[in-house]
Amino acid sequence: MEWFMWFTKFDHTQPLVLVILVVLFVGISYYVYGSSARGKRIESHKNMIFSDDDDKR
Amino acid sequence: MSSVAAASPYALGADRAAAGVEEYNFDIVKKFTIMTLVWAVVGMSVGVYIASELAWPFLNFGIPYIEFGRFRPVHTTSVILGFGGSALFATSYYIVQRTCQARLISDFAASFTFWGWQACVILADASYMMGHTTSREYAEMEWPLALLILVVWVVYMNLFIGTIMRRKQPHIYVANWFYLAFILAVAILHVFNHLAIPVSMFSMKSYSLFSGVQDAMTQWWYGHNMVGFYLTAAFLGMMYYFVPKQAGRPIYSYRLSIVHFWALAFMYMWVGAHHLHWTALPDWTSTLAATFSILLLMPSWGGMINGIMTLSGAWDKLRTDPVMRFMIVALSFYGMSTFEGPMMALKEVNALSHYTNWTVGHVHSGALGWVAMISFGSLYHLIPKLWNTRLYSVRLAAVHFWLATIGIVLYIVAMWISGITQGLMWRAYDQFGNLQYSFIESVAAIHPFYVMRMIGGVFFLSGVLVMVFNVTMTILQGKREERQALAAGGLAGAGV
Amino acid sequence: MKLGFKHEWIETNIGLMVVITMLAISVAGMVEIIPLFFIKGTVENVAGPRPYTPLELRGRDIYQDNGCFYCHSQMIRPFRDEELRYGHYSLAAESQYDHPFLWGSERTGPDLARIGGKYSNAWHVQHLIDPRSVVSQSIMPGFPWLATTPLDMSDIGARMKALRDVGVPYALTKQEYEADVKKFGPELAKQYYIPDAQQSMIEQANANDYDGRKNGPITEMDAVVAYLQGLGNQVDWNKVNENQLVKDR
Repeated sequence: MEWFMWFTKFDHTQPLVLVILVVLFVGISYYVYGSSARGKRIESHKNMIFSDDDDKR
Repeated sequence: MSSVAAASPYALGADRAAAGVEEYNFDIVKKFTIMTLVWAVVGMSVGVYIASELAWPFLNFGIPYIEFGRFRPVHTTSVILGFGGSALFATSYYIVQRTCQARLISDFAASFTFWGWQACVILADASYMMGHTTSREYAEMEWPLALLILVVWVVYMNLFIGTIMRRKQPHIYVANWFYLAFILAVAILHVFNHLAIPVSMFSMKSYSLFSGVQDAMTQWWYGHNMVGFYLTAAFLGMMYYFVPKQAGRPIYSYRLSIVHFWALAFMYMWVGAHHLHWTALPDWTSTLAATFSILLLMPSWGGMINGIMTLSGAWDKLRTDPVMRFMIVALSFYGMSTFEGPMMALKEVNALSHYTNWTVGHVHSGALGWVAMISFGSLYHLIPKLWNTRLYSVRLAAVHFWLATIGIVLYIVAMWISGITQGLMWRAYDQFGNLQYSFIESVAAIHPFYVMRMIGGVFFLSGVLVMVFNVTMTILQGKREERQALAAGGLAGAGV
Repeated sequence: MKLGFKHEWIETNIGLMVVITMLAISVAGMVEIIPLFFIKGTVENVAGPRPYTPLELRGRDIYQDNGCFYCHSQMIRPFRDEELRYGHYSLAAESQYDHPFLWGSERTGPDLARIGGKYSNAWHVQHLIDPRSVVSQSIMPGFPWLATTPLDMSDIGARMKALRDVGVPYALTKQEYEADVKKFGPELAKQYYIPDAQQSMIEQANANDYDGRKNGPITEMDAVVAYLQGLGNQVDWNKVNENQLVKDR
């Protein structure tokens, strides 16, 4: 249980959490904006809601 | 449209388009849509009544059932679970079917969620009036009802995920991610916050498993994440479908939606403790919550920007289309509330704002401005589609829009002024260093704003009544057209 | 650059999406809530806080049922103005027996964390029946039925047993009773002894006559006033080391 108590200290958890958060955020951002080809592919999915258009308005 | 459909990898199979009938279960969507409006009228009327009780306390009449403390959860439950819940069921069932191009996997399960959910809300309201409550804000239903909600929720989860598994598209559209996060998060929150030991099998009374500080933390972890996942994530799901549909153009950025979805899912859960600043909760928990509350501004605004920018290049729609206006104003209120929230989560601001009406104003700028407005906009889009007709009156929708907007502004301004007045009066000292005001002086000082808030509520409620009329006429018109088409003969009437 | 990962894996796989979403939403709860149960000092070690007597407990239940906590907080923050108005700031230890906590979130009315002993029983009774007869500008609802509704004492044993199950030291056995005597003294320990709970309620109500009607039936008013009069006056502040409190926070 010693290792667990380490997490109960705010002085430990705050930097830890912030590091995890920043790494994840940078990772995700790099992934989606890092390559224009990938970006185009991702963006292509946004049109799918119009493929089911049987609207007669 | 057909050329677009043919070019798209998601093209609708021609055979299915021809089959048309019964492709989707819209019956359940219709039922939930109608109950959304019923609960809006019930919940908001009770809201106006309890607002009046604060302005004119004789309205409590010494009757236990409608006394403020018992009537308040009737308001919150009717609007959050009744109105908001029905709107979410309706739209999630509609969206998941349309974006997966698959029918709900079970009509019986869908029906069960409908009757089960309505029963939960009605019984919960009745039990509060009878004086049964867990005393946990927004989770007041006692253990038998909490169990019933859990059962309904598990069926809902099954139905939703099962329908996605049966999809005809490889891709799961972003709106569904948000609904999924909402369903999962609410399940976890509901279970942990309702951990309790009943007094007996035949008693409504139960005592929560936790006590004091741990109990407080669990409750506000629940409380704020109901805001985060129920009142935010789920309604963002609604936004991600209906805003592009109504605008007739795809969402501004799919990449932004990926970033802000994961950021929102990860970060919301941390912030509940900002409801407990300066209390007996350990400092580290509340500082952590304050930090994350500030960070949360980014994903929140990511969602707002994504919604509003969808209209970029077609801003003229705001002038001509009141339905679009509902949606964009909803997103603006969402942006405003998610800016105000982190500010109020700063410990220094919270010292003033906590315990005052400012909090009530903040909640309602989110609840009326964001949740209700985006729901109204979505319903105005959805209802004509469901009943295969046009909206009866676009003019009346515009009237509704202005009544609602004026109502919200009156409400929020009244609560800001009275909240800050309370906060300042409570901490004012005279020249001898004594407290300048007694508590009751602060109560008397904000009376006019209680009246103003009540009037704001009346405006908002009248807007809803206009909508109910408009929707009723739309449905009648749809049915009349269907009859005429049938009478005109042939297969024309059998189309979707 | 080519990455091995595609977000589409998640976008096209509902199982994966469920798992990752669950992970994302669970981290916070684990880091923030679980430690609260383990860290020493979350609940201060001070003498005084005690479980409610059976009569007070029923009063608390009725206080909850009527939603009093929506308008009255029970959590004084460590600010000068709050300490002048309400008294010493609230400690976590003072709500350690509270299932559920009733800290509240709004002050439509004043904080009640230390209301006990500030007003007479008669004041409370009059104020609860007709608030504006005592405080003319009050907006509190009246609760006249409390004074006329006989207190239901039949399930007090079951209520205390349920609380005992969640950790409140109410005594079911002689052994637990002895432990209570040691911790809270013989008079309170007698109140906490579940088999005698009904008798204890009647005795406390009759001895104090909270609702002001000698020999009348024991009403919900008796219970509520008993509860209010016991709020916040349990800690002996002369024996508390304030520096330790500051360190614990």
